[in-house]
Amino acid sequence: MNIVAASTEEPIVKFQRVTYTHYGKTAPALKDVNLTIRRGSFTLLVGPSGSGKSTLCQMLNGIIPHVLGGMMSGKIIVDGRDVSQTQVQNLASSVGLLFQDPEWMFATLQVEDEVAFGPENLRMPPADIKEYVDEALNYVGLLPLRKNLVWALSGGQVQRLGLAAVLAMQTPLIVLDEPTANLDPAATHAVHELILRLRRDGKTIILVTKDLDEFMAEADDIVLLSNGCVLAQASPRDMVEKHGALMLDLGVWLPEPTEIGLRLKRDGRLKGKPVPLTVEEAAETLAGASFRPEAKKKKQAVLGDVLVRAENVRFSYNKRNQALLGVSFELRQGEMAAIVGQNGAGKSTLSKLLVGLLKPSGGELTLFGRKARQWQVQDLANDVALVFQNPEHQFLSDTVREELEYSLLAQGIDEPREVNRRVQAMLERLEISELAESHPFSLNAGSKRRLGVATMLVGGRARLLIVDEPTYGQDKRLTERLMELINSLRREGITVLMITHDMRLVDAHTERAIVMANGERLFDGPPDQLFQEPKIIERACLRPTALRRLVDALRARGVTVPDGLNTVDAFLEALETL
Amino acid sequence: MSEQTLQFIDNNSPVNRADALSKLGWVLAVVVLTFQFDTNEARALMLAALLFLALFLARVPLTTLLRTSPLIFGIALLLGLFHFFITPGKAVFSFGPLTGTAEGLQKGLGYFFRLAIMVLASFMLIWTTNIRELMVGLVSLGMPYRFAFAIFMALRFLPMVQQEVDAVKAAHAIRGRASRSPFRHRFRLWQRYLFTVIVNGLRKAESTALAVEARGFGAYPDRTFVKPFRWTFSGIFLLLSFIAFGVALILWERGAWPLLR
Repeated sequence: MNIVAASTEEPIVKFQRVTYTHYGKTAPALKDVNLTIRRGSFTLLVGPSGSGKSTLCQMLNGIIPHVLGGMMSGKIIVDGRDVSQTQVQNLASSVGLLFQDPEWMFATLQVEDEVAFGPENLRMPPADIKEYVDEALNYVGLLPLRKNLVWALSGGQVQRLGLAAVLAMQTPLIVLDEPTANLDPAATHAVHELILRLRRDGKTIILVTKDLDEFMAEADDIVLLSNGCVLAQASPRDMVEKHGALMLDLGVWLPEPTEIGLRLKRDGRLKGKPVPLTVEEAAETLAGASFRPEAKKKKQAVLGDVLVRAENVRFSYNKRNQALLGVSFELRQGEMAAIVGQNGAGKSTLSKLLVGLLKPSGGELTLFGRKARQWQVQDLANDVALVFQNPEHQFLSDTVREELEYSLLAQGIDEPREVNRRVQAMLERLEISELAESHPFSLNAGSKRRLGVATMLVGGRARLLIVDEPTYGQDKRLTERLMELINSLRREGITVLMITHDMRLVDAHTERAIVMANGERLFDGPPDQLFQEPKIIERACLRPTALRRLVDALRARGVTVPDGLNTVDAFLEALETL
Repeated sequence: MSEQTLQFIDNNSPVNRADALSKLGWVLAVVVLTFQFDTNEARALMLAALLFLALFLARVPLTTLLRTSPLIFGIALLLGLFHFFITPGKAVFSFGPLTGTAEGLQKGLGYFFRLAIMVLASFMLIWTTNIRELMVGLVSLGMPYRFAFAIFMALRFLPMVQQEVDAVKAAHAIRGRASRSPFRHRFRLWQRYLFTVIVNGLRKAESTALAVEARGFGAYPDRTFVKPFRWTFSGIFLLLSFIAFGVALILWERGAWPLLR
């Protein structure tokens, strides 16, 4: 059994009045930061998008200022070394940094070579390296795949390999920058378990993540950043008690049980009890609660004609790679549905079939009354819009305005006054009028996402909107703004299909979840029903939301909780007494 | 997941098992010999030998070969046609203002074979070689590992750039067509592919550079290698057999090969 190693008082990281401005920028990314991280501690860095979390991580191993340049003042000491006086390569023996997308961090082709790469650079003796590689691969569960090619790994395996590569370097400090941003819920959970194991084994860990759920009870410290400033550093308990309201205001993703506690506290209903950090604590706090017998039902949308009909649709990239094994479903006008499932389940393939980029290998797919094989991609673009996970891929012009104009011209709307009117209306709707002349690549993550939606819908003809991972790279506030936009489009009669791993989003915003696993449809129905099917959840590598787990925990304690509590708002509305 | 066509195929074929340096030498030998050939017959035989090697000894899937054929043969064909039409001589074909000549045909075929052989041999190196072995091999010959690594990273990036191009093409396709002229539309798309792929490529190259530095790359003037380079018999045999084959073809086309005369 692992024993949680107590953190020492000895600092491993010390920031003293650090201010940093990126090369070519005028506003500092970090302002007058003072921070101490203790050796052996587990620290969570949280804050809204653009608050300086990644910048801070890159300072720990000297990428900033040595590689990225820019202006830095103040002093950073890491593992006894002054970062500004020590080269990145030399800091590599002190700091292991795992990036958000480790695929681009990989420097070799084979799994075991990748893990050996760092120690080889540090001139460790080959016999020692072999031992470290075996240990690290065993630790992350990739030993049987040591001869595999790195690009043949799944998303979760890629992250575990990234972690093994960091572990093999035997650094005292491990920094993880959003290591689960691209993973399905089960793979995320597996990586989280691994991080917690490292923490129990006494490693010093700094973690940037929006999935705080599993870490609140384990972390020693939370550092709250906003707009380049460290607003607070405290234990999770102190942080939520003293700064929880601020975290909510800033748009930090908090676990639902904590959010419920904070809102009860704000309304004076918590009666001196501590704000819960975990599902278990929340269940304890709410053990004596009573709920209204019935939760407010989601408004059922009035559904129109069938837009998409898939009958036993199959698709294979080649003989070995059968992506879809016979999927059937219908999508009606006005629906808001989500396709969920593990990485590689066939979700992206399905979305490409729906926009005409791929044609089915078998079965029948009917799109807007015509067989999919009869559609040209460009013609289909008038009826169906796909917003890619990386919206930059779909931008074609040099300004935001031209980007919207392009979409109108593509739909045959070329009367200058009409084009101008529509573009202006869309800019205002998206609240990006002041960015009309900016380059689309220069927008922040949230604006890029909304522009991606706008380019697809400005023509006003699209009947089906497909959004790939709406929450990717977005904080809570940006996600809420995007979802407001999507919901308003849906109210106008546009069918929305989300492809996502974010079960919180699925539960809160959709009436229908289509669950995919290994190219097959496992489930098609309301999320409420899905969360009552543990076998399907497990097979599809999904995980119930913290809120659903809280409801289950309360029911297990004998509390009568109505069905359909899919959001914190719904939960609090149904809660009568504590 | 779409299938990438320009990346290492880990199939443990006889050519895969040959050492990386011999295969690099083999590519150079094939290219140098090809430029020594005087006749298209010799070039065609060399191309046939390469195709045989690719399909049967390197076990490159036919689908991969077909998917890359626009790169292997398409550009070579364009170059060949160009020379067919611009080389003065006896007219054998005309199409509008274009006139192809007998001399142009010979010259065009020559360019076609040379380019196709060069590209196919290079692709075979990519398909059959774990490029890390190539890097280790070059370092064992005395090349500073930073330089060897630059070659290695360039080859490592190829499939990822291809993936990026595929993603951008797909995203652009669903934006529809804003210009009534298909040529203008295509030109605009090409401009944008380049822009997006270059911008994202540079960003990702920067991420990779940061990541390798963060893992100690360049910390010391040298580094250790867990798997040292080893010459293999099959690699040396491949190299020598192609040199012998090429020399035999040269002797044959020049009439100096008594048995084949």
